[in-house]
Amino acid sequence: MIEVENLTKVYSSKSGIFERQSVRAVRGISFHIPAGGAVSFIGESGCGKTTVGRILAGLESASEGVIRIGGQDVSRVSSKERQALFRTVQLIHQDPYQALNPARSVGQSLLDPLKVMAKTKRVGDSWIRDRANEVLTMVGLDPNSVIHKYPHMLSGGQRQRIVIARALTVEPHVLVADEAVSMIDVSLRLGVLRLLRNLREKLNIALLFITHDVAAARYVGRDGEVHVIYRGLILEKGETDDVIQHPQHPYTQALLSAVPVLKGLEIPGPDRYIPLKEMETREDVETGCLFVSRCPFARDICREKSPLLTGEGHEMACHFAQVRNVVAMPVVAD
Amino acid sequence: MSVENKVEDFSTPIGVHVRNLSVVYETNQGQIPAVNHVDLDIAAGEITGIIGESGSGKSTLAMALMNSVSKPGRITNGSVIVDGIGDMLKISNERQRRVRGKQIGFVFQAAQNSLNPLSRIGHQVLDLGRSHQVGDLRSLLRHARDLLIRLGMDADRVLMSYQHELSGGMRQRVGIMFALVLDARVVILDESTTALDMLSQASVLEIVRELHQERGLTIVLITHDMGVVADLADRIVVMYGGELAEEGPTEDLLRQPQHPYTRGLIRAIPRISGNPDEAIALNGSPPDLQTFAQSGCLFYDRCPDRIAECQAGRPIYKEISDGKKVACYKVDRRD
Ligand SMILES: Nc1ncnc2c1ncn2[C@@H]1O[C@H](COP(=O)(O)OP(=O)(O)OP(=O)(O)O)[C@@H](O)[C@H]1O
Ligand SMILES: Nc1ncnc2c1ncn2[C@@H]1O[C@H](COP(=O)(O)OP(=O)(O)OP(=O)(O)O)[C@@H](O)[C@H]1O
Ligand code: SF4
Ligand SMILES: [Mg+2]
Ligand SMILES: [Mg+2]
Repeated sequence: MIEVENLTKVYSSKSGIFERQSVRAVRGISFHIPAGGAVSFIGESGCGKTTVGRILAGLESASEGVIRIGGQDVSRVSSKERQALFRTVQLIHQDPYQALNPARSVGQSLLDPLKVMAKTKRVGDSWIRDRANEVLTMVGLDPNSVIHKYPHMLSGGQRQRIVIARALTVEPHVLVADEAVSMIDVSLRLGVLRLLRNLREKLNIALLFITHDVAAARYVGRDGEVHVIYRGLILEKGETDDVIQHPQHPYTQALLSAVPVLKGLEIPGPDRYIPLKEMETREDVETGCLFVSRCPFARDICREKSPLLTGEGHEMACHFAQVRNVVAMPVVAD
Repeated sequence: MSVENKVEDFSTPIGVHVRNLSVVYETNQGQIPAVNHVDLDIAAGEITGIIGESGSGKSTLAMALMNSVSKPGRITNGSVIVDGIGDMLKISNERQRRVRGKQIGFVFQAAQNSLNPLSRIGHQVLDLGRSHQVGDLRSLLRHARDLLIRLGMDADRVLMSYQHELSGGMRQRVGIMFALVLDARVVILDESTTALDMLSQASVLEIVRELHQERGLTIVLITHDMGVVADLADRIVVMYGGELAEEGPTEDLLRQPQHPYTRGLIRAIPRISGNPDEAIALNGSPPDLQTFAQSGCLFYDRCPDRIAECQAGRPIYKEISDGKKVACYKVDRRD
């Protein structure tokens, strides 16, 4: 459905201390999401996840690379066709409160995009009404009870469902969910994750799920892939549960170690480790492994030579890749 | 607990005892009982985790612990006894001001914004010292520097920085430094890792864990994420609609949660091992003014285990075994 080859994005910005600085936000990323499939991008703040999402939704241009949506290279079509292609990719943001106009009821927010659709389909008002009910039901809400409500009357989970319903009005082929559950109470997150998974299955939508929470990726990304991103580069990728259960890159292992351990129900994996040092985005060393300054396994070669993605199916870029047991294990019932 | 004897630099840990505490907010729609008749002992030298969903009253309780609830909120009842100090709600304003910072350190939700944007971090340390009559400002600054290094940061750079030059994770760490720099014995962390990504959160929590062990601090950790308290806290207190639903030692509470709400919360945590389909989302919405008006259990509308009795009145919060308390009719029934 959507294919990306060697995507690169360089921002140049002025900074007080460093006169002119360019940030390599994305350093050559390739992936492919089939219809109904899922790819999760996992990585910490500032690693370039949002940038990729915005480029796919047509909100930002790539510095280099090829994007094909439904088989068509977006750089080789007219600007009108390009707009139409990008419309099939819908972006869902982190903050559902900001995404919705507080002065408009749920029904009103769905109306605008539906009117546009009705026009292209040459159908009337009754179609709009049916379709509004349909998308609300699809996201697990009771149309009658929410359609007249305003955003402040809804819980965070309900609000995010409305945002998703609105995205569905335009019948997208791809959803990009950027930290779509991170601002929702943990107790309500699971419901939204389930919904995203159902949409993949029922509507055959391709999902790019962007998160810093590995556990969340597991719930939407079954049968999909996980791509671990660090400073704009993919460090490890593979089938979701393979990466989570058999992580080989030290960075993936750090991310998995960061998942809290439920004392009493689980014991920490024997190899669990949490780097206490923050990511340095300013580091200008460009040779060698980008993770080297935080990596507990680094040796001289890591500073001298950039590790390349290797492996089949499950790939990783590390000179000392090795499965380590960092995931918490359930306590055997006594 | 694991408070070793190497804490000779520090005096004995301080506990906090909350009795029958109530706080209301006066709003146009009516009175919100944000904290309602809460009894809670925060054990000296332990990490107490307070968990509850958005609006359950966690921040209000935290503010009330320091008697700094702001308008339209008002403490209507109760006491907050801090060991060696007295009732925070009764001692003089000047005494309270000194206790805040000196004995009780806090890192508030939105700590991101609590730093002064116009002043370098180092200057803010000096301001804090002056407002607490610290004589030796130079050694205070040295102490701040040591703490920042301890927190994994380039201390000199941070002290020279303005808030906007720091990332979210760095600001949280700076917040923790401020909470500790006057050697507070009780530290309240309100959602101080919520806005951070997982890795940053984990490293901040790891540092909190280490500092707690080294200094025998009493820590109150407030969050909506059961995972965070499950990993770090010695005891967990579950809040619902301004009241306490359940509390107990962490492992006990996770292994044998009693209150249906606690059980729901634990089941709803996305995990990285086990069968993902075993996790179940919590149903329904958080309590609102209508819920508060009803006489029965606040959780009634969402409760999978409810019985007719639950509508009779609020269940009483009581001890069911050593150190475990719960407010639920169904649990009462069982024994
Ligand atoms: N408009 C911009 N101008 C300059 N630099 C930018 C811009 N947008 C992003 N960046 C930089 O690009 C890098 C990647 O940013 P991005 O927002 O994609 O990260 P992210 O992984 O989504 O992070 P987060 O988890 O915090 O949302 C960061 O270093 C960021 O500072
Ligand atoms: N300034 C205020 N004015 C009116 N009502 C308030 C105010 N602050 C809090 N409340 C209400 O008091 C109740 C408890 O709020 P509080 O902020 O203590 O909850 P919380 O558990 O900290 O939530 P969160 O997880 O969102 O931080 C809520 O119903 C809230 O709407
Ligand atoms: S290449 Fe070296 S520094 Fe990079 S992750 Fe592997 S071991 Fe660590
Ligand atoms: Mg982002
Ligand atoms: Mg709060």
